[in-house]
Amino acid sequence: MATLARTSERSRSLRSGRLVHRVVMVLAGLFFGLWTLVPLYWIIATSLKNEIQVMRDPTLIPTAITFHNYYSILYESKFLLYIKNSVEVAVVTTALSMLFGSIAAYAISRLRFRGRGVVARAIVVSYLVPGSLLFISLFEVLTELHLTDRLSGLMVVYLSFTLPFCTWLMIGYFRSIPSELEEAALVDGCNRVRALIHIILPLTVPALVVVTLFSFTQSWNEFLYALVFISSDSQKTFTVGLIGLIQGDTLPYSLMMAAATLGLIPPMLVYVISQRWVVSGLAAGSVKG
Amino acid sequence: MSTKTLMPPAPAQHFWRRAFGRDWQLGWVLVLPVVAVLVGLIAYPFFLSIYLSFTDKMVGQPANFIGLQNYKDILFGAEFGTLFWKSVVTTLIYTGTAVCTKVVIGMGMALFLHEEFKGRNLMRALCFLPWAIPSLIVGLSWQWIYNGTPAGMLNQILIDLGLSDTLIQWLGDPHLALWSVIFVTVWAGCPFYGMMLLAGLQSIPRELYEAASIDGANVFQRYRHVTLPGLATIIAITVLLSTIWTANGFNLIYILTGGGPANATMTFPMLTYQVGIAGAQRLGTASAITILFLPFFLVLIILLTRHMLREEI
Repeated sequence: MATLARTSERSRSLRSGRLVHRVVMVLAGLFFGLWTLVPLYWIIATSLKNEIQVMRDPTLIPTAITFHNYYSILYESKFLLYIKNSVEVAVVTTALSMLFGSIAAYAISRLRFRGRGVVARAIVVSYLVPGSLLFISLFEVLTELHLTDRLSGLMVVYLSFTLPFCTWLMIGYFRSIPSELEEAALVDGCNRVRALIHIILPLTVPALVVVTLFSFTQSWNEFLYALVFISSDSQKTFTVGLIGLIQGDTLPYSLMMAAATLGLIPPMLVYVISQRWVVSGLAAGSVKG
Repeated sequence: MSTKTLMPPAPAQHFWRRAFGRDWQLGWVLVLPVVAVLVGLIAYPFFLSIYLSFTDKMVGQPANFIGLQNYKDILFGAEFGTLFWKSVVTTLIYTGTAVCTKVVIGMGMALFLHEEFKGRNLMRALCFLPWAIPSLIVGLSWQWIYNGTPAGMLNQILIDLGLSDTLIQWLGDPHLALWSVIFVTVWAGCPFYGMMLLAGLQSIPRELYEAASIDGANVFQRYRHVTLPGLATIIAITVLLSTIWTANGFNLIYILTGGGPANATMTFPMLTYQVGIAGAQRLGTASAITILFLPFFLVLIILLTRHMLREEI
């Protein structure tokens, strides 16, 4: 009897527990869904309104949809030029950090030489040093090198945050590949370079994808260095360009949000493509958030 | 090792190999580009800013050595003294509040996304979405949401619902601005915590939970004795990383308030920018400010390096 009463009590508490669980899950879903979507809704809704709907007679939901804001941003401002600059900088920086990062990571994880530990340590520390500590003196360095106000200057400076990160992440991946694979190839008469290209590189493709996406997004989103080092309009990346548009002509909010929506598209595409790998990549290398 | 048995090194090489390690030539060639970047773009600027902090360097003018004058100006001077100390307090409040809130919300997010339910992958993608948005655009959007006219979304909603009859100046009121900025920082930063903690949750073996259930542990006891200990390391790393990046955050504050109103949101990077680049263009003084904030970051960096290297090297 006693055991029977206890089991029924237990099943009742289990059932009520499940109900509580359901309620909590639904509430959490609503909370996190709204948390993300409401601000995004506001950006996109504003970008589709005309100026009257935005300022004079404000409504939460657009009453008439217009794409004119997008047209103005794309064809009546320098926005496309800024986008082109951003792409250039991000592509060059990413390519350089991929190349230098993977060869250095290979050396640190596979070769034996004095100073290896020191370099690894320096890479981690550099990855953690925040840009706000360095931008003043970097400005001096770039001035000495006559690289201020040039895209090439940004490409160089962005290496200071993409390269340590790429190298660090690649070290982790190289370590996860058993070195026996490579030693077997060496015994079979491959030299190191051929072993690297034919054995190791194909195995690190997923890592290379993650690293590419991260360094591309980081360069794409960078703002402080671009703000400080770039002054002429023709050299502005999209982040500084956007700010220039706003501060220069006091851009109406509808246009500003159209520009913001357009600026969202590239990182969003990258995010949608790479979302599967992002969580594991983050856990492996701890990316800047 | 196999190379050693295959081709015995010539006697002259032998010495170098013993002194610098087996693959020292190739090794150094391969790390050279990274070392060049670390020396040129991190180490040299770092020592340069120490030097600049003892000079009266201004943009476009030569530097003269002035000893500790910059430090005196910042710590006790009339122009920067109060501003600096206020900025220290603001940076601490901003970083502390934002990081603590992010831990709590990020933990909720990770626990929620770890449960099994229909549409979980979609929900994960949605929750992590703000992480992918450039912080500049986050700032721009929230500046518009906070807009102090009836056109701003928050004011519109509050007035429509009858919760407020005055327009709230979210970013214009010196008592409110810092909290409004912190909220945006939390909104943008939570997904990072969510992702890190979710990865941590996934690495805790299911058997531990089953064993705890059999021993009669309820939800809260399981959380306290299984989940939290299992997440301890990842929480530590995430909090340390996020503290560095939050304190270092520039973009959001630049767009939302620019450090104002009445310097209410003047955190350390904003102050450095205002002194060094925007207003006075006093690079020397700005360098001294970064040097004064250095110990704070140094402690965090040392702690983190230890954590991160323990597993790898």
